[in-house]
Amino acid sequence: MNVLTSVRLGALTLKSARTYAFKSDLKIKWVRPEKIPCIKPEKSGDLEAMMKIDLSQPQLPFRGSKELETADETVKKLFSLEYAPRRKLTQVYGYEMKQLVKRHEFDTGSVEVQIARWTAIIRAYQDLMEKFPRNKVMKVVLKEMIDRRKKKLKYLRRWDYKRFEWLLEALKIVYKPPPDHFHWITRKESLRKLTNNYCEDIRQRRLDEYKQLLQNEQPVFLQEKIRALEFIRNEQRECGVEVTVTDEEVEAVRKQLKELEEQRKSEEE
Amino acid sequence: MALPTAAKTSMLLGRCVPCLKQNASKFKIKRLELDTNLLMYFGKEEFVYAHDPNKICKTGDIVLIEQLPTKMTRLITHAVKKVVYPMGDITDPVTGKKVVAGKYRDFVDSVNKVYGEKEGAFKYDKAPPRGWQEDKKDFTHVQTYIKYHDSGKDDPYAV
Repeated sequence: MNVLTSVRLGALTLKSARTYAFKSDLKIKWVRPEKIPCIKPEKSGDLEAMMKIDLSQPQLPFRGSKELETADETVKKLFSLEYAPRRKLTQVYGYEMKQLVKRHEFDTGSVEVQIARWTAIIRAYQDLMEKFPRNKVMKVVLKEMIDRRKKKLKYLRRWDYKRFEWLLEALKIVYKPPPDHFHWITRKESLRKLTNNYCEDIRQRRLDEYKQLLQNEQPVFLQEKIRALEFIRNEQRECGVEVTVTDEEVEAVRKQLKELEEQRKSEEE
Repeated sequence: MALPTAAKTSMLLGRCVPCLKQNASKFKIKRLELDTNLLMYFGKEEFVYAHDPNKICKTGDIVLIEQLPTKMTRLITHAVKKVVYPMGDITDPVTGKKVVAGKYRDFVDSVNKVYGEKEGAFKYDKAPPRGWQEDKKDFTHVQTYIKYHDSGKDDPYAV
């Protein structure tokens, strides 16, 4: 029926017919979200990048060495991180991360320490991947490590929720559960969702407006209600019939009005 | 014999799942259903909404829910009776001790004491109650979705 009338009335109403070629005239613009590789910090949930480490300090195995303390400047420099391969830097970083969450000084195997160790490696690798984006082996290792960390976080959440939350805060990781089901992002489905959101917004806005309108009318209505109740009560008394309006009823309305006015005042201030 | 459907049973044990409703929580109820052709039971999941005005149930909790005498709304048919197992904070019903994975908390603590506890390490007694990282770093209280639109705004629940 709809199709028939629209065709008869011409091009003006053609849009109202939802035929196979229906095209919404709503001003909704869909922007396809850019794909973020899984190894990026935005996806892996790392809020912090690898921290800056003082390069003048000695390598990890030589920390606290008495011989190095008494050695001359050149030897110290040779044993410092500045002249060491990068993995020595990562080693120090991993040590620092583990120090944050260790249960005791000799703790090397608890879940927190495992996650801290992986986090250190992940952040160091993410840093490196920026420099060498074509290193596929590193990319695979990095992805697997991110997944392994996420899995362990999932377990930790189930075992000990408070520790899980504390660990997220300590290591600055964001944990998002995976969505219910996987689906590819398509233009049609996205537009459907956006249109739904748009309609929902309109509905909510109109409801809010109507609510506001009714709220504005409330004081006048309550005054009118007090007047009407008093009038009824007086009439009933004068006519000698049973009084159905109690004083408490009128007082309750007065109190409501007073509260409303006070609320308005406090909001204005 | 086939079991009555979850909606018709008076009391149920369900797992809380993320739900946006203000005064209700959603529960996943898993029951076994008989396939009469194969004469085998298969797990079947049903979802039930239960009235929970104070939102005491958090995602993942195992909760005992009770059927309401009359439906509250079209969806809300049950009411929350008791949180039986809060997620990630299990108490052993036999000994009454707290458990982490396969060990008692006391045992783990005593081992730590032997080695010497560290200053900044996690302390169960002093830890804030669950939920202080909600919407900050822990997003398990909501249903995440695959990002479908780039609005330019921050979209924390999109994956």
